[in-house]
Amino acid sequence: MAIATGQDPALGRSVEAVRRLFAAAACSVALVDEEGETLRFVASDGAGADAIVGVTIPVSRGIAGWAAMSGQPIAVRDVQTDARFARDVAESTNYVPSSILAAPMMTTEGEVMGVTSVLDPSVEEASDWTLQVLGTLASQMALLLAGGHGPSTPSPAEALGRDVLRVVEAWQSGQPGHVGPSGTRSPGAR
Amino acid sequence: MSIEPAWSGAFDRGAIHEVAALPFAGVREWAFGGSTGAGVRVAVIDSGVDAEHPRVGGVVGGVAFHLDAEAEYGYVEDEGPHGDLVGHGTACAGIIRSIAPEAEIYSVRVLGANLKGRGALLHAGVEWSVEHDMHVANLSLSSKAEAMFGPLHEVADQAYFSGTVLVCAANNLPGPTYPSQYASVISVASRAGSDELALAYNPHPPVEFGARGIDVDVAWAGHGSITATGNSFAAPHVTAMVALMRSKHPWLTPLQVKAVLHAASDNSVPGPDS
Repeated sequence: MAIATGQDPALGRSVEAVRRLFAAAACSVALVDEEGETLRFVASDGAGADAIVGVTIPVSRGIAGWAAMSGQPIAVRDVQTDARFARDVAESTNYVPSSILAAPMMTTEGEVMGVTSVLDPSVEEASDWTLQVLGTLASQMALLLAGGHGPSTPSPAEALGRDVLRVVEAWQSGQPGHVGPSGTRSPGAR
Repeated sequence: MSIEPAWSGAFDRGAIHEVAALPFAGVREWAFGGSTGAGVRVAVIDSGVDAEHPRVGGVVGGVAFHLDAEAEYGYVEDEGPHGDLVGHGTACAGIIRSIAPEAEIYSVRVLGANLKGRGALLHAGVEWSVEHDMHVANLSLSSKAEAMFGPLHEVADQAYFSGTVLVCAANNLPGPTYPSQYASVISVASRAGSDELALAYNPHPPVEFGARGIDVDVAWAGHGSITATGNSFAAPHVTAMVALMRSKHPWLTPLQVKAVLHAASDNSVPGPDS
């Protein structure tokens, strides 16, 4: 699968990595415009990638818009039955998914700057853990896009790095047969 | 301020530790048994509610907040009927209706076709709910804006002391989110299972409760339905539980409501000295 042309190379590598992590058909990033009214797809990897980059949709539209409005990650199965799924947009890319994960991307000030979407992830079930992983990765990509930070403020990248490590440690400590500090088991142990 | 993430993995990862609760024998029956939510005012602070959706079955009232740079506080308030652009509020209202069929649902629309001013409108929606004596308000949305920490904290405290229970979806993003992070609210994350009244208390807050939120068949825009996962769908289950108990026991304060939910959790056991 090819990364769409005409997009930021670093962001392109990120969406490719996320797509691979979820063994998904595609992954994309859409950003909110200055007026806060539209989402513009700026990076994509996988099925329909070339066709979706550059497409603009209202923030009230589709599963991506849903995540942007609520500020909450979401997983939807069988999106083709969803009246609000932006089906015409999907069809224009020649790829219509059956399931979507979407997570908002936040600026360092905590405003919604965009949405990361994953189409048809190869996960056994839609789980809360899956949304945690995507939420963390979406935050990482938001920092990548936001760039630097003021010298007097703590580094959001450092804080996020700790959060990512916490996720990884939780994952590793909860592998099948291993009981972590809180006595919980990993998703893999279910 | 804590930077602990409001993650909810505790409910998603196998066995949940027991927590010691007050010795309330038969608390679930006492709290929920036979209740329909009648007489309880429930605010759904969201994208609006499609009152005509079969799973919603009508709303009692509503208000929509819109940004307006000319207005004194930067927004205007329109009382009266309105729709749901995206289906989020309709999904929440449908869950509440299925558990508390006679609850009086009010749609408080703070999400629209523009993302500007999300935090300010969220604040306005909570304030409206307090001023209009809602018994419980569902917030399946949150803000991560640091600028909103103080204002939302203040109005959440007002809600707590005036008797409006705020039920807030936790967020799966790293770092704190408001108002779900506050001790004055009831924060909820997703938990697997099909039981609408299943509830677990997290021994490791800030996220306090886990409720059904994974692969939930929910109402959607266009009178449709979808199968969705997210903390957005867990919070309305707890909102409905609060409606059930406040219908039977209207005198319950937010402090008592949380204690009852704690005692009614599936993993609650009597304390060791009981």
